[in-house]
Amino acid sequence: MKSINQERKLTQSQKMMVFVLSMSLFGLSKMITEILPSNEVGPIEFSISYFAFIPLILAALFHPLYVALGASVGNIVFAGLLMGDFGGIGEIEGFIEFTLAIYVAGLLVRNPLNKMQLAVAALVGVGIDQLLSTIVDIGKVWFGVEGFDAVPGLPESIVVLEGVSFLNEMIITGVLFGLIPTLLLTPKLYGKIEPLLGMNPRKAKVQVSVGAYITPGLIFSIVVLTFVAMIAEFIAEMDMNLAFWSGDFIAQFADDQKWIGYSAWAILAVGIIYVIFKFVKKNKNNKMDLDEAA
Amino acid sequence: MSVFQKFFSKLTVENIKIELMRTAYGNEQTPLARLDPRMLILWVLVYSIIPWLTHNMTILIGLTLFTAVLAYLSRVSPLLIILLIIGVISQFTYLVFAATFLGNSYAALIAVIPVALKVSCVSLATMAVFTSMDPEKFSDALLKMGVPGKFSFGVSYGYRMLPILIEEYQSIIHSFRLRGKQPEKPGFLYVRYIYYYAKMCVVAFYPMMLNTAKRTRTTVEALEVRGFSYTLENNVAKDLKLGYLKMKKYDVQFLAITLLVTASVYTTGVLMPL
Repeated sequence: MKSINQERKLTQSQKMMVFVLSMSLFGLSKMITEILPSNEVGPIEFSISYFAFIPLILAALFHPLYVALGASVGNIVFAGLLMGDFGGIGEIEGFIEFTLAIYVAGLLVRNPLNKMQLAVAALVGVGIDQLLSTIVDIGKVWFGVEGFDAVPGLPESIVVLEGVSFLNEMIITGVLFGLIPTLLLTPKLYGKIEPLLGMNPRKAKVQVSVGAYITPGLIFSIVVLTFVAMIAEFIAEMDMNLAFWSGDFIAQFADDQKWIGYSAWAILAVGIIYVIFKFVKKNKNNKMDLDEAA
Repeated sequence: MSVFQKFFSKLTVENIKIELMRTAYGNEQTPLARLDPRMLILWVLVYSIIPWLTHNMTILIGLTLFTAVLAYLSRVSPLLIILLIIGVISQFTYLVFAATFLGNSYAALIAVIPVALKVSCVSLATMAVFTSMDPEKFSDALLKMGVPGKFSFGVSYGYRMLPILIEEYQSIIHSFRLRGKQPEKPGFLYVRYIYYYAKMCVVAFYPMMLNTAKRTRTTVEALEVRGFSYTLENNVAKDLKLGYLKMKKYDVQFLAITLLVTASVYTTGVLMPL
């Protein structure tokens, strides 16, 4: 982790440039894919969900974290808010999954000119995103969250459909619009796009061992964030009373689903404590700034 | 059929760009545009949660109608409305299809209606708000509410730049088409055409990335010369920048009307559930 950070050290304004670049490019591409018609053959949809190659290339060339955050924000702002397609709480799931996927993919690339690493990163990146959302979707049926149990045949068909759509996504989004363009465009952009942002290209020859960046901290945060994403999506899909403060909140879960409610409570509590902590700290800073100005 | 043909003939890049411009640089005259942006953000947050709190059909229909009226008053572009309708329909067709095909019953169709209403209510509310709010105000409101400065800047920048980016992308595509040659035969299932256009869409991002990188750097450096990062960190500078955001009488009136409508919708819903 440390060596990667040293290797890709960015100044404050460069971080912002990378963030804005990734956000606007991915937002634009997402808008294009929204408008493109999709072909449906029966229930299976053949469409491009996003141009995966854009964040993948940028994550390989620049700092993966800022690229990943930028791409997710661009997705929400342009495809969500501007196009009026905002999913509410369910949007958290997509945000976390996509950020994680691109971040991990970016970490996997140590040498942006190495085709093997790029290919692995592209497939792993899209794979993580699609796999997580498929797991969450199947989980919804598994735990009976969607409340369609009464309809015979639906749970089984959803599992089958999700499996097929995962494969379909991996081929179209992952390979055709992820792997192939990444392999073609990264070597072309390497050394050209970095000077435009006022930085040196990454050194191609830096050797970092795999263990250096897959730290326990990263794995831990992946697990925790995936869990948060799952709970958010379940709650959004369960179509239920969100009155966290009332005792009825837990009561509306079936016995084997109570853990979803308790987890939502825990996440909310941690979030509130964090916000309060930040707020207290900010007030302190505020005072200091005033003293400075005076 | 003719309705669809009419719609798709209007669906050109030029039109989409104009619609987006309208969304981004909303008209000042609409009732929602005169509100304090913080009020709008709060309102849209509340209204994107409320529909999920109930199963009562009357309440859901009432809320959807209310947001539809607001969307109409804010002159949301018809393109977005049509995209919303297509989206809502296509989101649920496959579920219903699967259920009727495998389970042989229409129960799923009825189970899906409330969810569709909730989704459209939330979408209408967000569209109304974001059509009425210009990017500058939106980012200032976010900043005032304690969102990190980098994020709020990025949002307003992207919001502003998007129409320009779309235009640039379009002109790159045009130049590719001028220099390239469309396949003579469509091939099996238009495979050759699809390949030709898909490749163009991807390859066009190569010059696009370089141009955007250059533009981003120019903007960020111009901002840094004016001490942009410092103003975002320093609270005194922030107060100066955000001083114009004030809740006025009009905001209170809007709040009162919203509360009144929501309350009456809920009362009707409780008294006459569908």
